Amino acid sequence: MNRERLRRYRTSLLIFLAVLGPGIITANVDNDAGGIYTYSLAGAKFGFTLLWTLIPITVALVVVQEIVARMGVVTGKGLADLIREEYGFRTTFILMMMLLAADLGNTVAEFAGLASGMSVFGVTRYIAVPLGAVLVWALVVKGTYRLVEKVFLAACVFYVAYPVSCFLAHPKWPDAVINTLKPSFAFSGSYLYMLIGVVGTTIAPWMQFYLQAAVVEKGIKVKEYIYSRWDVIVGCIVTDVVAFFIIVACAATIYLSGHRQINDAGDAAMALRPLAGHAASALFAFGLCNASLFSACILPLATAYYVCEGLGLEAGIDKRFHEAPTFYWLYTSLIAVGALAVMVLSESKQIPIILFSQVANGVLLPFVLIFMLHLVNREDLMGKHKNSRLFNYIAWVTCAVMIALTLLLVVSTFFPDKLPA
Amino acid sequence: MIYFTELDHLPVYAVKGEYLGRLEDLCVAPAQNSLRVASYLVKSPKKALICITHDQMQSLSVRAGQTSVPRDEVRCYAPDEGLLKVKKDILDQQIIDVNNRKVVRVNDVDFDIRPTDHHAELRIVAVNVGMAAAIRRLLQGLLAKHTIRMLTSSIPTKTIPWEFVNLIESDPQRRVKLRLSYDRVAQLHPADIADILEELSRDEQKAVIEGLDDETAAQALSEIPTRMQADLLESIPAQKAADIVEEMPPDEAADVLHELSPETSAEVLSDMAKDEANEVRELLGFEENTAGALMTTEYVFVHESAAVEGAIAALRNFEGAIESIHVIYLVDNDAVLTGAVPVGRIILSQASLPLSDIAMDSLISVPSHASLASVVDLFHKYNLISLPVVDDKRHLIGVVTADDVLELVITRRQFRSRG
Repeated sequence: MNRERLRRYRTSLLIFLAVLGPGIITANVDNDAGGIYTYSLAGAKFGFTLLWTLIPITVALVVVQEIVARMGVVTGKGLADLIREEYGFRTTFILMMMLLAADLGNTVAEFAGLASGMSVFGVTRYIAVPLGAVLVWALVVKGTYRLVEKVFLAACVFYVAYPVSCFLAHPKWPDAVINTLKPSFAFSGSYLYMLIGVVGTTIAPWMQFYLQAAVVEKGIKVKEYIYSRWDVIVGCIVTDVVAFFIIVACAATIYLSGHRQINDAGDAAMALRPLAGHAASALFAFGLCNASLFSACILPLATAYYVCEGLGLEAGIDKRFHEAPTFYWLYTSLIAVGALAVMVLSESKQIPIILFSQVANGVLLPFVLIFMLHLVNREDLMGKHKNSRLFNYIAWVTCAVMIALTLLLVVSTFFPDKLPA
Repeated sequence: MIYFTELDHLPVYAVKGEYLGRLEDLCVAPAQNSLRVASYLVKSPKKALICITHDQMQSLSVRAGQTSVPRDEVRCYAPDEGLLKVKKDILDQQIIDVNNRKVVRVNDVDFDIRPTDHHAELRIVAVNVGMAAAIRRLLQGLLAKHTIRMLTSSIPTKTIPWEFVNLIESDPQRRVKLRLSYDRVAQLHPADIADILEELSRDEQKAVIEGLDDETAAQALSEIPTRMQADLLESIPAQKAADIVEEMPPDEAADVLHELSPETSAEVLSDMAKDEANEVRELLGFEENTAGALMTTEYVFVHESAAVEGAIAALRNFEGAIESIHVIYLVDNDAVLTGAVPVGRIILSQASLPLSDIAMDSLISVPSHASLASVVDLFHKYNLISLPVVDDKRHLIGVVTADDVLELVITRRQFRSRG
């Protein structure tokens, strides 16, 4: 009997490993250059006091991602497909164009992150960025789906650089743990701004499209969905554990040192050097480069994918160039424009692009979340897999909070001084 | 020619010119006439759905629809599964373009208006998948209709004539009501059907497979990745799955059954005809990644003492796949493999000539437990088109054919880099 059970466990584990991927990859891309900067800044400016937000953020992330993963498994269609079939061409087109604009800005931010991470190792951005762009482009255009997914999963493993770097910074662990479990609040404008920033970077519109498309591409069966759900949950938890270590590392060093202003994620890595040693600094910068490259690959890929899907054009990395020309051109130009912008524009001139993409993301998120919740409740689409009433309450509340905070982030981006002091 | 985009939301009037509402959808009743618009759905200002039948529509233009019904005689729309709705079932949905063997998404639908005894008859001409239609959809309602026509006139359009359009409906009962068949898809090359299947979601794949005859379904399935085959077979009733698997070459059947869950696999096997099931069961017994697992049990063999005419008779009686008849194998009384004769030599020889006279000089075979790599090496080294597989006592038990080896090599290469 025991052997039988062992065998069953082993089968489950194997299925889990086969289904694994979409959820973990999507969640990890969430910790991209922008995310790392936000978390570093949260640690550097406010110490441990924002750590508690990570638990509700994880829950929100799981709730939203679980819905799209489920839709992908049950319908076998991407989110853009479903939106097109339900809301028609014009809505889809506008949505896709805004996502395209937002993601272009995000791609610029990723290459900026790569430049700033490599500068810690003394590599100029004029070498790091074009090299990174070619690498990322070649991986997808010349590689197969399986190869790409393996490289992506490997990139996920490299996030371990952050926990290690954090241990090297010797934080006060009991304090960190207490602050994670015990919510605290400060009514200052800058604290609120940071809080919104931390939450706002968590759920981006493109992630929903990417996750659902990846689940579909993988051909996960309804029977295997339970494993896919774990893929999502594990991914979200791992992501926020990484975020935890980034905040703690910066809180234990930069915050305590008193020089709390950092301008990008590379700055944070630099600031760690005198405080936590060369190794911690190098690991932090390495993590940043890995995350930036990883996201610079997935973001343009996801964008090209869902734009083509929504407009009814051929897409997919297992297609050849002449079979899916729009797909490959979109992917190529997003990377090229993103990389060029970082090389040509000075840092101050990149800021408006990144701000614009943040605004576009914020404006889009409500639509994407509402469409998503509407679709997942359609009986003819989801059958018995539609949301239960309880889950619907949780999902609507989560989405409402996310929408409110994201819109606040957009507003505060323009009027940072209007928040209550 | 008039586009659905131009008819959408068109004001519709009763016989004395009273406003009825805006055009919401067009319905075709395929059971009666697969081209003609059978009824017009109009949404009244009070959001009620009115149904105008085709003979009540007196005239129709891009500006308005004039009916011949008095205002107080209009009928409410009663939902009917047998009606094909243009907006709901065609617009923005995926369809199969049978002519170009592709799956495409519909941007617009083209109609033809012709006056027929006292009313205007609207007929579906084509679905539009091009750029011009996309722009029309974007601008619909924002600019005047003739302005949009002018703007899009110079853009090349891409249409698929209605007779080459195959809709995909995943509800089997509605498929019957809509008279939807996949006969035209079934006439495509199985490899093209497979490409189409790969573009569809699981429910849609199911719809198409269920609509194909077992033989075509089996051939198409053999061309898609094994995992997807297994997915599909698990989602359709076991009896239908068994019928399809029966039609597959035994080696392909064994591969896909290997992917199925043990329960489904057993169910399918028990629903299959006994002979076919036994052949597949035998193949399932071989270890993965060996010659035994790759081989098929469909091959032509005759006794070593037979003459050319005996071989030709054996070929004519052979019911397996055509790729298995390139070589005829010779066996002795104990079924031990003793020779191989290429079909080409048989055709060129006198009917009475003993086969052993024209057998190949060197007989190359492989034990069933040999690795795939050694099989590939043998094919490469001796330029084989098929390779006999023998057991420990040199009994002939199966044949590996070149098409399976080619597929093996290509999928392996795709694993490593881009194919």
